[in-house]
Amino acid sequence: MIRFECGDLSAHVVGFARALRERGVLCGPGEIADALQALSRVDLGDREQFRLALRTTLAHRLEDLRIFDALFPVYWAVHPTLTERRESTPSQTTSEGTGGEGQVAVRQWLESSREAEGDQEVPGYSAVEVLSRKDFSAFTDEDLHEITRLVVAIARRIATRMSRRMRRAHRSHQIDMRRTLRLHLRWGGELAELAYRRRRVRKTRIVLLCDVSGSMDIYSRFLIQFVYALQEAVSNVESFVFSTSLTRVTPALRSRTLRAALDRLSRTVPNWSGGTKIGTSLMQFLEGWRHLVDSRTVVVVLSDGWDTGEVEILRRAMREIRARAGRVIWLNPLLGSPGYQPLTRGMQAALPFVDVFASAHNLDSLRQLEKTLVVGSRTKREASRGMP
Amino acid sequence: MQTTRPTLGDIEQILQALEREGYIADREIATAIYLSIELHKPLLVEGAAGVGKTEIAKVMSRALDTDLIRLQCYEGLDVHTALYEWNYQKQMLRIRLEEGTDRPVEEKEQTIFSEPFLLRRPLLQAITHHRAPVLLIDEVDRVDVEFEAFLLEVLSDWQITIPEIGTIRAQHVPYVVLTSNRTRELSDALRRRCLYLWIDYPSFDKELRIVLRKVPGISQRLAEQIAAFMHLLRRLDLQKVPGVAETLDWSAALLRLHRDHLDRVVVEETLACLCKHHEDLRLVRGPWLDAALAAIAEAQRDGEGWDRALARAERTLRA
Repeated sequence: MIRFECGDLSAHVVGFARALRERGVLCGPGEIADALQALSRVDLGDREQFRLALRTTLAHRLEDLRIFDALFPVYWAVHPTLTERRESTPSQTTSEGTGGEGQVAVRQWLESSREAEGDQEVPGYSAVEVLSRKDFSAFTDEDLHEITRLVVAIARRIATRMSRRMRRAHRSHQIDMRRTLRLHLRWGGELAELAYRRRRVRKTRIVLLCDVSGSMDIYSRFLIQFVYALQEAVSNVESFVFSTSLTRVTPALRSRTLRAALDRLSRTVPNWSGGTKIGTSLMQFLEGWRHLVDSRTVVVVLSDGWDTGEVEILRRAMREIRARAGRVIWLNPLLGSPGYQPLTRGMQAALPFVDVFASAHNLDSLRQLEKTLVVGSRTKREASRGMP
Repeated sequence: MQTTRPTLGDIEQILQALEREGYIADREIATAIYLSIELHKPLLVEGAAGVGKTEIAKVMSRALDTDLIRLQCYEGLDVHTALYEWNYQKQMLRIRLEEGTDRPVEEKEQTIFSEPFLLRRPLLQAITHHRAPVLLIDEVDRVDVEFEAFLLEVLSDWQITIPEIGTIRAQHVPYVVLTSNRTRELSDALRRRCLYLWIDYPSFDKELRIVLRKVPGISQRLAEQIAAFMHLLRRLDLQKVPGVAETLDWSAALLRLHRDHLDRVVVEETLACLCKHHEDLRLVRGPWLDAALAAIAEAQRDGEGWDRALARAERTLRA
C-alpha cells in the first residue's frame, strides 16, 4: 500500500480543487484538508481508491459529482506537474453551441452594471413613474441603476408580504407545556393559566425557471436581477436558467453582490443567449429536481414561449409540473405588447397547464406578481382553466 | 472528548462486513463509509427512493456492533421532539406530592427540572450514549431551515445546552449518517460539514447479486431476467421509477406464483408491484413489454454476456 507523503501531491489536489471551484463546486480549504486526510488513509496505488477518496470529500451534491466526473480524467490524465496543469485543465466550462457568445453577453452586462454603479446621479420622483410603465426593452443603460433599485425594492416587498400573509393564515396555537408548568409551580400547584406557543409556519417554496435564450435577451437582463433580489429576500427560492439546457443558479445568485452573482453566472451557465428548447429544459428540470416541487410549491416560468424543440416534450413536462405543483405561473414579457396573442406553438402547448398567465415586461407587471405568488388552494376557476 | 471508536478496517474489509450483513455494496459506498469512520465526519447519502440509503446506517450499526439511534425527520420537527423534553406528567405529580411541604419554590423548581425528569429524544440519546452509536438522521430534507441550522450546530460541536441543567458534551462522537430525498436543497453549510455519497439505481450485476441474496430459492435464470427487466424498465420515461425495494417485492411475488421465467401474462399480473402510477402501467403494458421480453429472452439464449445484450436491447427499444 502506497502511503502519500510527497508535498507535490497536495499542490495538485489544491489545483484540482481550484479547478472544481471554477466550475461551481463549493470546495475550500476545509474540503482540501479532508481530501488530503482521506488520501492519507487509502491506497494511492489504487487509482479507483484515489478517485473515490477525492470524490467523497470534494463533492457535496449530485451536480458536483457530474462536474467531478467530467474533470477528473482530464486533470489527472497524465502524471501532472504544476507547469502542465494549465494546459490540462481548460479554464472555460465545457460549452455547447453558443456557449462562448453567451459568456460574452453576460460579461457585457457586467461591464455595463459596473458603469451604472459609478453613476451616482439619482433620477427624480417623476422618473420612477415613467420607469414603471416603460417596457424593459426600451431601456437605455442610463436607466439601469434606477431600475435595479426598483426591482430589488419590489422583490423585497413581495417577500415581506408573503411571510406576513402566511403568518396570519396559520394562527393556530399549541400549548407550551414547559412554560405552563413553570406558571403552575408559581401558583402553588394549580393550573391557573396556560402558556401557548406558536405553531411553525409552513412556507411556500418558489421555483423560478428563467429563459435566457437569445429571444429573451432584452428581458432576461432585468428578470435575472429580479430573480436575484427575490432570492436574496426570501429563503425558500430555487432558481434555474435555461436556453437549450438547464442550469441551477441558486448558489451562483447567492453571491453577496449582484455583480459577483453575474460574474459567477457567466462562468456556470454554458449557453447564455443561445437557442431555446423549453421542453427539453423543463424535462431536465424534472429529471434532476422534480423532488423540489410539491403542493406547496409555486413554479414560475419566465419565458416568451418561443420553443424550437418538440412541442410534445413541452406539453409532457408542463403536465407533470402542473400535476405536482401547488401553482404554476407563466410570465411572458411579450404579453405586454399590444395585440399579442399567445400563438407560438410552445405557448399554446403550455397554456392549458398554467394557473396564472401574466406579463413581465415592466415594473408594474412585476408588482402585480405579488398577488399571485402566495399559494392557496387552487380556485375553481383556475382548476377548470388548468384542465387540458 | 474521547475519540476511541471502533472501526471496520479498510475498504476491502468493509465490503466484506457489509456483505455479511446482507448489504450488497460497491466500492463507492464502501469508500464513503470507510472515510466517514476514519475522518469522523457525518456521511450525507442522497439518491432516489428505494435504493437503500437508510439501510446503510442499519448495516453500519450491525457491523460495528453498536446501537442505532434514529431521528426520523418531518416538517415541523422541533427541538422538543429531536433533542429533549421534560416529563410533564412526572413533574406535575411531584408538584402535587410536595404541595404541603414548605420547601422554597426555587428548590422545588430545581428538583423538577433535573435529569430524572428529562425525556431523552434521539439527539440527546446519541450524545449521552455509553459507546459511540450510529446516529441516523433520516430524510433530513424534510426539516425546515431553522432546524437544519440547529442540527448543524450539534453536528459541529457535539454538545447540547439545556437551560435548566447546563451543557452536556458528547462522551463518544456518534457515527452519523444523514439521508435526503432532495425535496428541498440542503444548505451549503450542512453539505460542507459532511462527506457525500450518491447512490444510484444498481447496475445489472449489482441488482442480480441483490436478488440472489435477498430472495432465497430464486433460480439464477429468473433472477437474471428480473435484473435485466428492471434495467430496461428504468430507462423508460416513468413517473415513478421503481427502486430496489420494488424489485425485491416483485421477485418474491414471482416466486410465490411458482414462475421460473418472465412472460407477458405473468408480468401483467404482477405489474402492480413495480408501477404505482396509472400512466406508467399503460406505458409498460404497451408494445414496449413484448419488445423488452423478446430482447431478454434472446440475450439469455445467446449467452453473449448481459452487458452487451442490454446495451443492444436499449438501442432497439429506443427505436
